[in-house]
Amino acid sequence: MRSPIPVVDCHGHIGTHPDFPAYKICPQEMVCVMDLLNIESLAITSTRACYNDCPRGNEEVDSVLRQYPGRFRGYVTVNPNPEGEALQQLERFAHFHQPPLIKFHPDLHKYPVNGRKYLPAWDYANQTHAIVLVHTWDSDPNCGPLLLGPIAREFPGAHILLGHSGVTWRGYEQSIEVARGSPNVFLDISGSHSHRTIIEHCLNQLGEERILFGSDMPYLEAAMVLGRVLTARVSDGNKEAILRHNFLRLLTMT
Amino acid sequence: MSPSNVELLSEVASWNLMDANVHLGRSGIHGQLALEKSALLAEMDRFQTRRALVSHFAAEEYDISEGNAALARDMDGRFVPAWSASPEPSIVHELERLQPKAVRLWFSPLHHNFSSLPWSTGKLYDYLQQRSALMVVSREELDWNALAIILTEFPKLRILLLDVGYRSDRYLLPLLQTFPQLYFDSTTYVAHRQLESFVETHGPERVLFGSRLPLYTPGAALAVLATARISDDSKLAIAGGNLRRLLGELPS
Repeated sequence: MRSPIPVVDCHGHIGTHPDFPAYKICPQEMVCVMDLLNIESLAITSTRACYNDCPRGNEEVDSVLRQYPGRFRGYVTVNPNPEGEALQQLERFAHFHQPPLIKFHPDLHKYPVNGRKYLPAWDYANQTHAIVLVHTWDSDPNCGPLLLGPIAREFPGAHILLGHSGVTWRGYEQSIEVARGSPNVFLDISGSHSHRTIIEHCLNQLGEERILFGSDMPYLEAAMVLGRVLTARVSDGNKEAILRHNFLRLLTMT
Repeated sequence: MSPSNVELLSEVASWNLMDANVHLGRSGIHGQLALEKSALLAEMDRFQTRRALVSHFAAEEYDISEGNAALARDMDGRFVPAWSASPEPSIVHELERLQPKAVRLWFSPLHHNFSSLPWSTGKLYDYLQQRSALMVVSREELDWNALAIILTEFPKLRILLLDVGYRSDRYLLPLLQTFPQLYFDSTTYVAHRQLESFVETHGPERVLFGSRLPLYTPGAALAVLATARISDDSKLAIAGGNLRRLLGELPS
């Protein structure tokens, strides 16, 4: 099985993970899997940065972008905990992409996405029309989707991707609620839960333009999310929008 | 360009697919996702699933005997029943009548709230072991240490562990290496290239295709298996051969 349309993937990583063994995670092996599935490009964040070391993690992304031009796009991952580091990182790695791609992981960094220390990065994203991928989880006190509604209204210049759309069915409902209230909010459908009919439900509630394909490769299996989309009871046009055009459109907005 | 699911489902059509992880009936938790018999069969048709190992939501969420009666009422030639059980003598007596090939257990306080350890459930394990019935249990229902104790004390009891999750390998792999009677389903074994890597290292015999239908779409688990870079024989074993062998439908 191969996607009949070249996929533009909004959610990927580089690096290993601490809590289970990693398989075939080097960039070269990832490109082989991308070719197998017809994933044209993957926007990556450093997993190391999501855990303990943003400066080193963002350097690793920089290296992969240079090694595989055209196959990867780079998120600058920022951690609000060392105050002041976020803006330094965003300026240092501003060459990754324009508009900037920024990753927040409030769950692993144990700090609420609407907390004071994230404000400089949100302000930067607002001014630069950045795409901000935020890890979300159903009702989580640091990264529940509902926390992003007021943020989206306060910073309308930022394009906010709700990473994993809250994961659970209730998390999806929260994500849909936020997206309905703010045109700058989008649902990334990566995640380990393959709810039956969720693609159809999101399309019915939001229309096709607000739903983006994310794989979470090489953390999760990209074919899993691809299978959800390709077998959903939606039109081929809807599938093309989700798999490719919606993220491409955001990437070229300024 | 015209994306469609034709390629995936035409490939699956040749697999003689048998799903090890399917639920039937009304659910108080899962609402509209739950499916009654005709709708479930239609969804199986859509995903080229010829047969399935099926448990009933009524047994999971409410009453074991009522759930087993509902499963008997809704039985279909394409379903293999995973009857539910608890250690209570009346339930074990009921199993005698049902002549089970597979028995599903729900230990957690949210379900039927009994200990998985042998001091509580040992007689039931012994019964299942003696009649070569497959014990089916979700990983969410028991912890790894309890599973190791059961496997140690009942070495001929074959256990199918469902919903193992993608973070499980540091527990699952040592148990599979130590206990040859342990099997698992592929529904949530979805880390990057995890299924493919497992088969490369351990072979295809211990993993069974599962989808968690009707809560999850089978399209996800099917795509994972279809895109695994493993032999066609390995795919056929996972897609149904291994489960048929465990149920005694194929020679072991």
